[in-house]
Amino acid sequence: MGAQIKMVSVAQPRFGFHHVNSIRLSARAASQCLADAHIDSCDIGLLVNTGIYRYKNTGEPAIAALIQKTMGNNRTIIKDPDNHKNTFSFDLNNGGCGMLTAIEIVQGSVSSGEIAYGMVVTGDSEPFYRLSKEFTFNSAAAAIILEGSGKSNGFSMFRTYSYPEYSGEFVSSTFFNNEGWHGKGRNILNVMQKESYSDVCVDCAVKSLVNFLNETGKRLDDIDLIIPSQSPLGFTDKLKKRVGMNGNFIEIKKTGNMVFHTAGPLFALKQVWDDHRFKGSKNIIFLTIGSGINVSLALYQN
Amino acid sequence: MDWKCQIESIGVKIPGSRLTTSELMVKFKTPCIKKFGLLTGISERKICSTGEDSFSLATEAAKNCLSHSKYRADELGMIINCSITKYKDGLSHLYEPSFSTLIRNNIGASRAITFDISNACAGMLTGVYLAEKFIRQGIIKTCMIVSGEYISNLCDHAINNITTSLSSEISSLTLGDCGAAAIIERTADEKKGLIISGFTTLSKYSDLCTGRQNRNAPGGKMRTKAKKIHQAAISESAPIVKEALKKCSLSLNDIKWLIPHQTSRSSIISGANHYLNCFGEKPEQIVITLKETGNTASTTHFLALYKYLSEKQFSEDDNVMLLCFASGLIIGVVIFKMNEMVYRYGSTN
Repeated sequence: MGAQIKMVSVAQPRFGFHHVNSIRLSARAASQCLADAHIDSCDIGLLVNTGIYRYKNTGEPAIAALIQKTMGNNRTIIKDPDNHKNTFSFDLNNGGCGMLTAIEIVQGSVSSGEIAYGMVVTGDSEPFYRLSKEFTFNSAAAAIILEGSGKSNGFSMFRTYSYPEYSGEFVSSTFFNNEGWHGKGRNILNVMQKESYSDVCVDCAVKSLVNFLNETGKRLDDIDLIIPSQSPLGFTDKLKKRVGMNGNFIEIKKTGNMVFHTAGPLFALKQVWDDHRFKGSKNIIFLTIGSGINVSLALYQN
Repeated sequence: MDWKCQIESIGVKIPGSRLTTSELMVKFKTPCIKKFGLLTGISERKICSTGEDSFSLATEAAKNCLSHSKYRADELGMIINCSITKYKDGLSHLYEPSFSTLIRNNIGASRAITFDISNACAGMLTGVYLAEKFIRQGIIKTCMIVSGEYISNLCDHAINNITTSLSSEISSLTLGDCGAAAIIERTADEKKGLIISGFTTLSKYSDLCTGRQNRNAPGGKMRTKAKKIHQAAISESAPIVKEALKKCSLSLNDIKWLIPHQTSRSSIISGANHYLNCFGEKPEQIVITLKETGNTASTTHFLALYKYLSEKQFSEDDNVMLLCFASGLIIGVVIFKMNEMVYRYGSTN
């Protein structure tokens, strides 16, 4: 049995606000996804959150548990002993590749029949308002539900390629600034991205795509859609030119220098999901790239 | 084919400095906590000295684990970092790249797929759960799960904020630093395989323990409704443990070693008494190792396993149950038969 996509949803701040609580935004995407799929939150057996930039940099509990609570999955064993539905949730961080890594985990559980539905949620926003340098990621969240396909369609192959020689190209971390507001120190998030980062990402993505196609035994002409990461800035433009797939290479409209980070591939998926191009395509490749540098790819077949 | 897996080796890194409970109590401007050491059973905790942080603890634990293993670093198929704290270069929190990627580069595990997970104190057992999934599906043969916890900095915040013994930051005083790692490998031996069951998140209780970064000071802070979370964990976990035991056709009497999450001595003992009432039976030994190390968050179970392996307390074929309670509220049960690992640790003298 395979695992196929049941539904995908996205969420962005309302009324043009940029700074929002990433947990609430992720929960909104997750709740919308459940509503669109007509699934009860208690039917989700595995919930994985892959957002990196979390509200107030919450360390515990896992953001996934907070999303689970907000979307109404509040079962207890003592009070509902006859309810045998079980949800397990946790956070996974793997830069821009986290979403695809989580899908691979959920796919394993769904296709083995261990769970009926699994969900991956991802969302980023500035952890502390205006306490960051070079933070150019849109506040955005997305959720995807996977279910068993009963046939061999759905996700069929996952691969990750690593390029450790470029681990210094993108580093984001906090530092304590003693000269903060009114003499109080502040923890500042600093996103350090080298100028060469997007070019290096394109090189790594192209190499990985070639290797992946070789492993799957497919040619580029066989691929109907490529759904890529939407960050770093300029990555999709350059990659599109290198690969030579214009219309079938999905890009999200950009707003200035801001880009979609971990939710980017799901925003691209949502675009082709809504215009029915996704269901009309036979071979689809998901291509995600993250700091490290890691490139994760997956083949999806309808 | 559906593969089984087992723990192949364990490594830890205990940081260089120590802080006794009496030294900690002296730091309070007005003494407000009585008998802390007696109630928690913690007489000291190991804390990071200059140059040590989550990353260095995790890396050293990974190296220590490899030194006990038959595998070389380049034979590892996957590395999962499971720490809550991701401090590198002091108290600088690293968002990207993932810790596991840097650990891979540091130990030379060139072929390993890497990612981090975060699931509060259930992190390493969640890592075992994921490693088992990847191995069972035949995607990898070996997986290292690793964690480095530099959480003693939460004590500093707590000391400045605790004014009564009912403060929500009291639990922060139990914390100590540690790094731990374990290699999980594929096995064809059904009897030695890990039995993982009962991982569940009861998010109704997710607000009972929260930890986050400080805004105005380096490090983090944690608030816990200790009594409520303890009551919820104990009462909700009993049916899960019962189901896990049923799944592997065992009773609680058959468990030689029960290793619970190491929070405090009094809560472990009251939990054991609750289990005795529920099951009418008890495991042969309940492991409490927090006297000299405190609560080391996600690393507690593997620190306890390492300690008992080094002391040659385990015998081959002993049934071991790892029981985790973590904020979320996450309850997890892992049961396994101790394997030939017992001969590779500790001195024969």
